[in-house]
Amino acid sequence: MLVALLVGTLATDFQKVTLALWVIYGLVALSLDFVWGRAGIFSFGQTAFFGVAAYAYGVIGINLSPNTGETVTALVGAVVAAAALAAALGYFMFYGKVGDVYVAIITLAVTLVLLQVMTSTAGPQYHIGKAQLGGYNGMTNIPSMEFGYPGHPGDQMSQPDTYNFVVLLAGVAFFFVRVLLRSGFGRVITAIRENELRTELLGYDVRRAKVIVFTVGGAVAGLAGGAYAGWGNFMNPAPFSLPAAALIVIYVLVGGKGTLVGAFIGTVAVEWLSTALGGILPSSTTLVVGAILIGVVLLVPGGLTPLIGHLVSRIVPSPPRALRKAGVGGAVGGASRGQGLQTQGLVKMFGGLKAVDTISLEFPAGELHCLIGPNGAGKTTFFNLLAGRYRPTEGTILLEGRPITRLLPHQRAQRGIGIKLQVPSIYRDLSVQENVWLAAFAKMSSTRQAEAAVDRVLARIGLVERAGSPAGELSHGEQQWLEIGMVVASSPEVILLDEPTAGMTHEETNRTVELVRSLAKTATVVVVEHDMEFVQRLDAPVTVLHEGRILAQGRLSEIRHDQRVLDVYLGRTFRVAGS
Amino acid sequence: MDQVLTIGVSVLASMATLLLISVGLAVIFGLMRVINLAHGEFLMLGAYAVLVATRNGVSLWIAIPLAALAVGVFGLVVERLLIRPLYGRILDTLLATWGLSLVLVQAVSIAFGPATNGIGTPLGSVRVGGYSFSQYSLVLIVMAAVTLVVVYLLFTRTSYGVMARAAIQNPAMARALGIDTARMNMLTFGIGSALAGLAGALLAPVAGVVPSFGQAYIAQAFMTVIVGGPDVITGTSAAAGLLGGSYSLVSYFTTPFIGQAALLVIAIVLLRVLPQGLSGNWRTYL
Repeated sequence: MLVALLVGTLATDFQKVTLALWVIYGLVALSLDFVWGRAGIFSFGQTAFFGVAAYAYGVIGINLSPNTGETVTALVGAVVAAAALAAALGYFMFYGKVGDVYVAIITLAVTLVLLQVMTSTAGPQYHIGKAQLGGYNGMTNIPSMEFGYPGHPGDQMSQPDTYNFVVLLAGVAFFFVRVLLRSGFGRVITAIRENELRTELLGYDVRRAKVIVFTVGGAVAGLAGGAYAGWGNFMNPAPFSLPAAALIVIYVLVGGKGTLVGAFIGTVAVEWLSTALGGILPSSTTLVVGAILIGVVLLVPGGLTPLIGHLVSRIVPSPPRALRKAGVGGAVGGASRGQGLQTQGLVKMFGGLKAVDTISLEFPAGELHCLIGPNGAGKTTFFNLLAGRYRPTEGTILLEGRPITRLLPHQRAQRGIGIKLQVPSIYRDLSVQENVWLAAFAKMSSTRQAEAAVDRVLARIGLVERAGSPAGELSHGEQQWLEIGMVVASSPEVILLDEPTAGMTHEETNRTVELVRSLAKTATVVVVEHDMEFVQRLDAPVTVLHEGRILAQGRLSEIRHDQRVLDVYLGRTFRVAGS
Repeated sequence: MDQVLTIGVSVLASMATLLLISVGLAVIFGLMRVINLAHGEFLMLGAYAVLVATRNGVSLWIAIPLAALAVGVFGLVVERLLIRPLYGRILDTLLATWGLSLVLVQAVSIAFGPATNGIGTPLGSVRVGGYSFSQYSLVLIVMAAVTLVVVYLLFTRTSYGVMARAAIQNPAMARALGIDTARMNMLTFGIGSALAGLAGALLAPVAGVVPSFGQAYIAQAFMTVIVGGPDVITGTSAAAGLLGGSYSLVSYFTTPFIGQAALLVIAIVLLRVLPQGLSGNWRTYL
């Protein structure tokens, strides 16, 4: 921003007109970099939000400012219009849980439809108040920015003033985005980008977070749109076109995705270059833009800044260690001896297949319980029903006597269910400490409490020395412990573990036995397992599932001699031989 | 009664149009999971191929299959040069094909000029009482149905179809079974491109041939395939029927632009209600 103001003092008034435009484009690029580079949502829609905001500024400005003498309402209205469109679109996309690719396609579709609709508004019948929409020729006579009040119109801003004001707006937006990313919410955004499933299982409402990100992104693009209309006194449907949207992506790629400040650098670099090129190849700008896009993707796959990865890992802040305090977390944890977790007549159908067939089970509070069964017994389906990843066809699930059957995974996590999936699901690029911090913060929402919890958990899972390492560098067994640690960090009352020893060495399995038994001291623990030796050493009540039903229940020592269980595990041949 | 008949034909023609422009994308995006943002430009190339052929005295009915073939070959080249290095990198594919789309639009407008070129709609129109509709609409409807059946049979009943789907679903396994997955993918992409070329060629006489030809259809095509869901061919047909029907009816009673917007809104709301798409809970084959 200082650089921009400095440049402003050197530039001629004429140059400032162009510079202001570049800063405005940079602001749109900033909104895309925030949404895409930081939160991992690829959106074609930033230019659509920009365009809608510019039209909103025009409509409000033309109708109101002659009477009120100001365009602040127009600028605010522009931001609100863009944010509202982004929020509505975000609601449908993210609450519908459509995939990343579909988000790109839907935003593309919206942008193109806006292009067609706005282009078709040429007739005099298309007007809002005194503002003619103007079709392809656009809306004219949009007032410049001014700050007066009714009866005392302000001076319409001169072009150099507009430049300074635009730089100010960009600076404010930039710092707002920076502050947002440095907050706890910012770390959650990073977490979603890195591993959406894990973030959801930690209890964060991923859908809501994404809608917020998308809305903020829309608002920033909207600010640019409002400023654009005030800068040029004119707006047409061109920003809704594909080449316009492509340019924004190129700005971000050139400047370095995820760097924020790169959005402005990239914009200036590309615009400066294309102004220079424009003299040589006047009719081929789009051709060049397209070629750049292909070239960047094929030749420089990581984007033009090889430092991006490095920067991202630096920008995601480590939780400050200065505030470490022993003992703060001592009060947390300790399950209330209530009713624990119960299922009543749980059924899950896949097409015609009954994967889980009327299972009623009770996991009393504060106890350890194992679920075993051969492949295809329905263990994992049952586990996913408990975790909320599947919705049961019939039946209810009760936590502490209250139904949670229809709750989503993150809502269950908030009610105190900690879930560890079979395949380690951690944030590979974040440090061990940051992984646990995210888990703790989900429940506590106080940075300080979360930090205290991190230390306790690291000690418990024995990874204190590895606190600073990226989680991806841990051994397979250590990753499993880390994930258990993340589950524990939110002090859940019920812990669900799906094959916690899968792929572990003998040594690691031994340690896991102790870890799981210690978990059962403070929580209800349900373990789905395959490894009989591990189950035996846990020494807990066992339920055997077979073909989606409960086959047997009791201590492993008793079940071992149950003929039906032997049949199931060893197959028919055994029975024929044995009988 | 006459009015009902003409509306019926126009609704069916909208469905057929949507199906034609989407079926190539259903193969490339639905089946192969390759985002081809240049799909609209493949349609546009099909239309220009017909334009060039008819200007050189080739009959329209021969020009249309030729255009499909030409775009199919072009698709093979694009797969080899642009798509193959990017399998598994969805977003990069999206950006690269986007670049391709921009390049093609600009290249065509440099070569042919930015103005609209008309190809006269062949055949006459049928008069029913006080109303009339173009016989060519009937051609579109029949061609859409034929294309649908051929594509369905190709991917379900031929050894190519089974091998192509194997190569997409589990490339490592397919290779272990001796399938040349790279060739299969190239061929499948080529078939999808040829279908796009066919659609562009068929639509050329009813829509103006302009460099921005594809932009008018690309969003609708993607929405149709997405709303269709996992059963690519049947889902896409159902979505084309639903969206094309609503577009046509809304357009008839208001304006085509509101029809466009309605199509989009219906598609987005449908995805909120049925995130898996229309065929999410079907158990059909493809």
